[in-house]
Amino acid sequence: MKTITSNLRIFWEGTIFSYIALFGWLRPVTYLATKIIGPLMQMFFFTLLGTFATGTENAHFFVIGNAVQIAALSGIYGVTMSIGGERWSGTLVYLFGAPANRMMMFFGRAFMHIIDGALGVVIAFAWGVLLLNLDLSQTNLPALGLTILVTTLSTCGLGLLMGCLSLITANVGFVNNTVYFLLLIFSGANVDISVLPSWMQAISNVLPLTRGIASARALIDGAEMAEVLPLLAIELGIGLVYGLMGYFLFKWVEISAKRRGTLETI
Amino acid sequence: MNIKDFFRYWRTILTVTEMTLRHQMNDSFVLFGILVQPILIAVMALYMLKDSAANAAMFIVVGSGLTGLWTTQVFASGNSITQERWQGTLESLVGVPTPLGMIIFGKNLANVTLSLLSMIVSYLLAALLFGYSLSVDQPLLFFPSLVLSMVGFICFGMTMAPLFVMYRSVQQWQNTMEYPVFILAGFLFPILLLPNWTIPISYLLPPYWAAVAMHGTSTGNASVEQTLFAWGMLILFSILDLLIASRLFKVMLYKARVEATLDVQ
Repeated sequence: MKTITSNLRIFWEGTIFSYIALFGWLRPVTYLATKIIGPLMQMFFFTLLGTFATGTENAHFFVIGNAVQIAALSGIYGVTMSIGGERWSGTLVYLFGAPANRMMMFFGRAFMHIIDGALGVVIAFAWGVLLLNLDLSQTNLPALGLTILVTTLSTCGLGLLMGCLSLITANVGFVNNTVYFLLLIFSGANVDISVLPSWMQAISNVLPLTRGIASARALIDGAEMAEVLPLLAIELGIGLVYGLMGYFLFKWVEISAKRRGTLETI
Repeated sequence: MNIKDFFRYWRTILTVTEMTLRHQMNDSFVLFGILVQPILIAVMALYMLKDSAANAAMFIVVGSGLTGLWTTQVFASGNSITQERWQGTLESLVGVPTPLGMIIFGKNLANVTLSLLSMIVSYLLAALLFGYSLSVDQPLLFFPSLVLSMVGFICFGMTMAPLFVMYRSVQQWQNTMEYPVFILAGFLFPILLLPNWTIPISYLLPPYWAAVAMHGTSTGNASVEQTLFAWGMLILFSILDLLIASRLFKVMLYKARVEATLDVQ
């Protein structure tokens, strides 16, 4: 019982402090610019590009795709920085030196970003309804809420893996930006996956977001929860696989760095 | 900063340009903005416009290249003074006899020159990977358009750099400055898709006139008069931007010397 309590405390404190540390340098206006206005501008750009390319009747395809894709903002950048920031701020040594449960410590880094990311997607949908004529009248809203939560969770799984990459490469900004933009193509947010070549479709199928976006589109077109549950189950599974890959990489980095004495020199 | 300075310090400008080019070629963030992002935007646009991509390919190549130019403008040129502060070299630059404006001009020249790569890479992508036949419809008008656009971007960057370093509140919006200009300048779709009230804002942006000149001459959709008008606007905005930048540099240096906060983060 004591161990469980201790692990939960590590999870919770890691969650709160890593999030506060990440956003401690931000002023409210920066948060507003990065998490609210920025995503709106991204949605506007791709929706206008999409309607220019395919006609105004398809606007909702791009609005929904880009709204759900906002999850990657917290999932990729936020989670990565929560883990990679330990190295840049010189606290990695203490983190690896602590006798704390690694799994609790590791997954705790993503928790707040799941909530923050899901909130970001909800705000993006609100922008869609208010400014881009997105119609949610046929939508099963609880199912859409579940879709948002599952998609954010799976994206954070990829973020955990990317965060560990930030411990072994100095070019994490380059990698993160590239992955974020690749998701815009491969997840089906802006391009119908069926028009992509088969090798690109194969990649789409193993990425988070792909099924989350498909599920959101189906729900907004009037589908019921039961119809999208299989998509969400796979989406969740993909996120867990990425998260576990990240965890094992995290363990490997710790062991390797301790053995070679390269904790902060990688 | 005045016109005579450009003749007096041209060697310095070229040296700064060379050094900045060498430096930026090793900066993965800059390379992302110049190479990766425009390529991915071009790929996306080519798939989105698949039904009309053969006709729109040149428009997409130029448009995605312009997105690379603007991204570099916001992050590299906008930070050209701030970056010196981060590296602890700002005091030395202010202390040398060469006006700071000339040094920043050289840096911006390097950034804009380097970002031309984004257009070349987008061109190669559309031609080699997607197999589109691409040609510039009015090459004699396109290349002056390209040069005037570069000058326009450099001069616009000269106003951004001191603003970013003096007013942190402006810099906080840096990450959100990319897409609004992609939209308002009509890089990848015409501004006619936008509400009427945004049109005057587009007219006030040098990137819009760069897009008009370059899209018009590359696709052949603009008359000579329209291209000449866009050139005129680019020249006008370049002069205005240099005048504004000259004033901003004076204010910045005065504030830095009086308030002694040159290196305070």
